[in-house]
Parts: sequence; structure tokens; C-alpha cells
Amino acid sequence: MDFHWSDPKLWQIIGPVVVVQLILMVAALTALIKAEHTRGPKWVWAIVIVVVNIIGPVAFFLFGRRMDG
Amino acid sequence: MKPLLTAEKLVKSFGGVRAVDGISFAIGEGRCAALLGPNGAGKTTTIRMLAGLLRPTEGRIAFTGLPERSDIRAHIGYLPQSPSFYGWMSGREYMMYAGRLCGLRAADAKRTADELLARVGLAGAGRRRIATYSGGMKQRLGLAQALVHRPKLLVLDEPVSALDPVGRREVLELLKELKRETTILFSTHVLPDAEELCDDIMIVRDGRIVVQGSLPDIRERYREPVITVRTERDEASLEWVKRRAGKAGGPVVSALPFEDGIRFAVSDLDAARRLLLREMADEGVKVARIEAGYSTLEDVFMKAVST
Amino acid sequence: MRGLAAMLGKEWLELARSWKWLWVPLVFILLGIMQPVSYYFLPQLLDAAGNLPEGAVISIPLPSGGEILAGTLEQYGIFGALIIALSFMGAVSQERNTGTGALILVKPVSPAAFVLSKWLAMAALVAASLAAGYAASWYYTVVLIGPVAVGNAMAGAALYALWLLVVGSSALMFSALWKSPAAAAFSALGTFAALALLTSLFPRQLAWSPGRLPAASRELLLEGAAGSLWPTVAVTALCVIGSVLIAVRAVRAHPAD
Repeated sequence: MDFHWSDPKLWQIIGPVVVVQLILMVAALTALIKAEHTRGPKWVWAIVIVVVNIIGPVAFFLFGRRMDG
Repeated sequence: MKPLLTAEKLVKSFGGVRAVDGISFAIGEGRCAALLGPNGAGKTTTIRMLAGLLRPTEGRIAFTGLPERSDIRAHIGYLPQSPSFYGWMSGREYMMYAGRLCGLRAADAKRTADELLARVGLAGAGRRRIATYSGGMKQRLGLAQALVHRPKLLVLDEPVSALDPVGRREVLELLKELKRETTILFSTHVLPDAEELCDDIMIVRDGRIVVQGSLPDIRERYREPVITVRTERDEASLEWVKRRAGKAGGPVVSALPFEDGIRFAVSDLDAARRLLLREMADEGVKVARIEAGYSTLEDVFMKAVST
Repeated sequence: MRGLAAMLGKEWLELARSWKWLWVPLVFILLGIMQPVSYYFLPQLLDAAGNLPEGAVISIPLPSGGEILAGTLEQYGIFGALIIALSFMGAVSQERNTGTGALILVKPVSPAAFVLSKWLAMAALVAASLAAGYAASWYYTVVLIGPVAVGNAMAGAALYALWLLVVGSSALMFSALWKSPAAAAFSALGTFAALALLTSLFPRQLAWSPGRLPAASRELLLEGAAGSLWPTVAVTALCVIGSVLIAVRAVRAHPAD
């Protein structure tokens, strides 16, 4: 169970994790761009979503948008 | 006049405060009636009881031709003062949803949605998300969704007061059209709106109806000779207005001050005119304008809602 | 229950338009994968940290597959419950506060359908997210760590499904009772955190309480048995039904603000 960082087996294992995180981030960014009203400025949310892993997108989805019209 | 809806001795208290304090009225089928009164008079509370959003503390609401405890919501279309929608839906989706809630099949809901959106001038915006609508557009969508089940009675809470002049005109014109096909009850604090649209008026104050009747009937019943005096804003004149306010006697029946003058209801126009002119001359009141004539609806309204 | 089908359609669409159908399952999948992956790499990570003297042997007992899945479920019990409670903390109160609910409840529909449609949407989201996340975790566990006992793993997950459902139902109930969404989330999470804590302190006296679900699930996965669970399951089901009924009553008594 000794891996080097270029080992393909390693990427087979953590590749899906990275992909799912990327999907989550892109989804949050898309939702951010399309959102009519956000709580707080959009650029701050963009930084939070990109920088804070998993929790950033989740926080945006939970608290970032106002869904009423 | 065949009543469509009757409200009997409606009372609503909120923690001891009687916001509506024994209101009774009947709305004739095909009529357009206005609940007219200042803010806080109990209009919204009354309307929300009719719409079923508030349960009356006392009294009852009956819809003609329906059993006592049946669901009157199926026959009422309601529009609150500033309706809120799901911003993530399109106008058309919302209309179809409203239709389905009223028991329409999907195909009928779609057809009704398109018809009504066209009718309120939102055909072009139907596929846009409601979050992007202006206030006037939301009000018109609100009107459309209230009509989705062809209600016998349309209940509107201050339908135009939150709108800009253009939006207000649009909605007023729509209401004029609608009153030809359905019974309407709406609340407003603006007399000209009520005068423009209504057959019947109920003036509400402190949770009670103080004047009630058809528009011509009220004009006739409350028609009285009036003398209106406007003065300069100097000390002597203001002092006189203040002293004269509320003081009746002789040909003067009542005296009601307003912004820059005072309005006298009188029993004998000539006698009152002689009396007041002499009095003002003696007191050195600087008259800007004096007018003798008969009371307008506005006078009735002002008198009814002021203390 | 008039209007249920239409309202369910609306809730479904709202879950999609608010991206919940995407992000909640994704987060469950991430939580699920991370448990086996991090255990798998643990010795390497310790090694890389490199503070150990040359020649020291790190001996960490490799956990069993069941232990990994129990760990995953524990994550769901905490973070999953948090996400579900926060997602539905405003389910009713937001509709009251903004006035969207008033426009719906003046239509000839039943308040029970209004609440039930929200509950069904919540339950569907819980079930789908838990299934997706747990399946991912299970797959990784089998590949990287070792086999798991299928029956116990399923039963353990079912207990957590019930746990998430009862937390979500109470969030829905509190959202119908209280104006503030934050207060609703806090009450729901607080109630069940306290219940779990109390049950772990008095396991015998509170064996019937929904607070036993997390511990029971762990026992199932690690020891293969957890005693009789029917009282717990029955009481939890009653709590779910009770929450929905209370929410319906609250909406009927107080449809709009």
C-alpha cells in the first residue's frame, strides 16, 4: 500500500472524489450566476465556493440565495 | 338586489384589540363594492376573513346558494395587497399551478393560463421567471391567478395602491372590464378609485362601517349645504380656525378644519354665509377663498373618517 | 386531500430548481466515499507526516468493512441531519413570511395536502441522498477494505433513514410552528441531539426512544445484533406522524401571517 503521487491506482481511488467535488463547485457557481437575489455580494460567494472545499458550495446552496419572487 | 355574499356582525380581535368590531354588509350579485377607509380601519382584516385566511372571532359569512359550512373558497378569487409568488416559477407555470389547485385538469389549466395571461397583458412575459417581473406585472399576474377558477366573487385588497401611476391605470382599466362579468369587492383608502369603479361603498372607520350604500344614494342622502373657507396662514386666521373647529350653533351644523381652512356644514346657506362673513370681518380673518355649495362625496368621506 | 398531486409536483420542481436534487445527494456521496478512502490512506498519511523515528512500525488494526459503513452512517447522522434540517427549516414559515402560502391556501385545497406534499418531497430527498451516498460508500468499502454483511448493512442504513426522516419531520413541524427558520432548525437538531445523548446515558430506560437509532445501527454493523428494535421503530414512526399532524394543525389554524 505504498503509493507515489503519480501512481494511476491512487487516481483511480481519489479521482471520483475530485470529480464529485468539481461538479458540486460548478453547480454552485452556475446557481450563483443565475441567482436573482443573493445574500451578500456575488463575488464574495464566488470566492467562498471556489476556496472552501465542499462546505463553500453547501453554505451557498443553504444560505446564499433567496428563493422568493 | 340579490345578495351574493352576506357578512353578519363580523368581529376579529387580536389580543384584546378589536380590529374589526361588528361589521355587517351584503354584496349584491354583479355589483362592485368598495371598502373605503383610512389605513388601520380594519379593511384588510375584513378581507382576509372573507378569503378564509383569518377565522372571525364572532359573526358569520354566508355565500348565497351554498350550505352553511361548505368551502366558499371555491367561489372566491383573492388578491392580497402585494401578492408574492414563487420567483423560480414562470408566470405561465404559476397560472397552471393555480389552475390545478382549483381542480382543473392539466390541459384545461394550460388553456386557462394562456387565456388569462393574454387578458392581463402578460402573454409575452408568460415564460419569464416571476422574479424578473415588475410590481405592476405581479399585480396583473395576481389578478389573473385570482380569476383562474372563474370565481363568483373577486376580493381584492388595495389592488392599486402599491403601483406607480402607469401600473395603476392598467389595473384600474382591467378592473373596469372585469366588473362587467363578475362581482367585485375591493378595499382602498383612495376615494377617487372607489368612485371610478364602484356601485356601492362602505366607509370603514375603527373597525366599524360608518356609511354604507350605493354611490348615488350616498350622494343624495348626505347632500348638505357646505361653506368652505380657506385662509392665509397668519396667526389671527389660524387662531380663529382653531377656535371655530367643532363649534356648531345657529345655521352652522358642524365645522371641520382641514389643512389650510375650515369646512362648515350648514342648515341655511344664506344665513350661514351672512353670519360667517360678519364674524370673519370682525375677527380680522384673512380670507383667501370662500366657497358656498353642496357637499361632495369627498366631504362625506372626510367627515366620516375624521374625529 | 385536495390539491396533493399538484402541490407535490410543485415541491418536486422546487427541489430541482433550487438544485437540491443535485447537491444534497452529491454531498452524501462525498461523505460516503471519504470514510473508506481516508481509512485506506491513513497509514500513508501518518507515514508522510514523518515524525516517527526510523524503523518504527505503525500498527493500526485495519477496520472491518462493517466498521467503515458504521462510520459513514454516523457522518450521515450528524452532517446529513444538519443538511436536511437546514434545508427544510423554512418549509412552512418562509411561505408564511413571504406570503406565497396565503395565495395557495385561499384556493380550495386542504392544509393537510400542503404539509404532506412538503413532507413527501423531504422524504424522497432523504431516501435518494442516503441511497446514493451509502451505495458509493459500500462500493468503496468492498473494493478497498473488505466485505460487509449485506443484511446488517441494509438494516443499519434503514435505521439511519428513519433517523434522518424523524429529524426532517420535526424541522418541518417547527417550521410550521415558529416564524424563524433558524429557531426551527435549532429546535429540531437540539431535540434529537439531546435525545441521542440522553439515550446513550440511560440506554435501558430509553431503549424505546428514537435517540437509540444511531447506537442501534452501529451495534448491528459491528456486532451483528442490536436486540429488539421494534419499540424504537414504532415510537419513531409515531414521532414522524405526530410531527406531520401538528404541522397540519398549525397551518390550518394560522394559514398566513
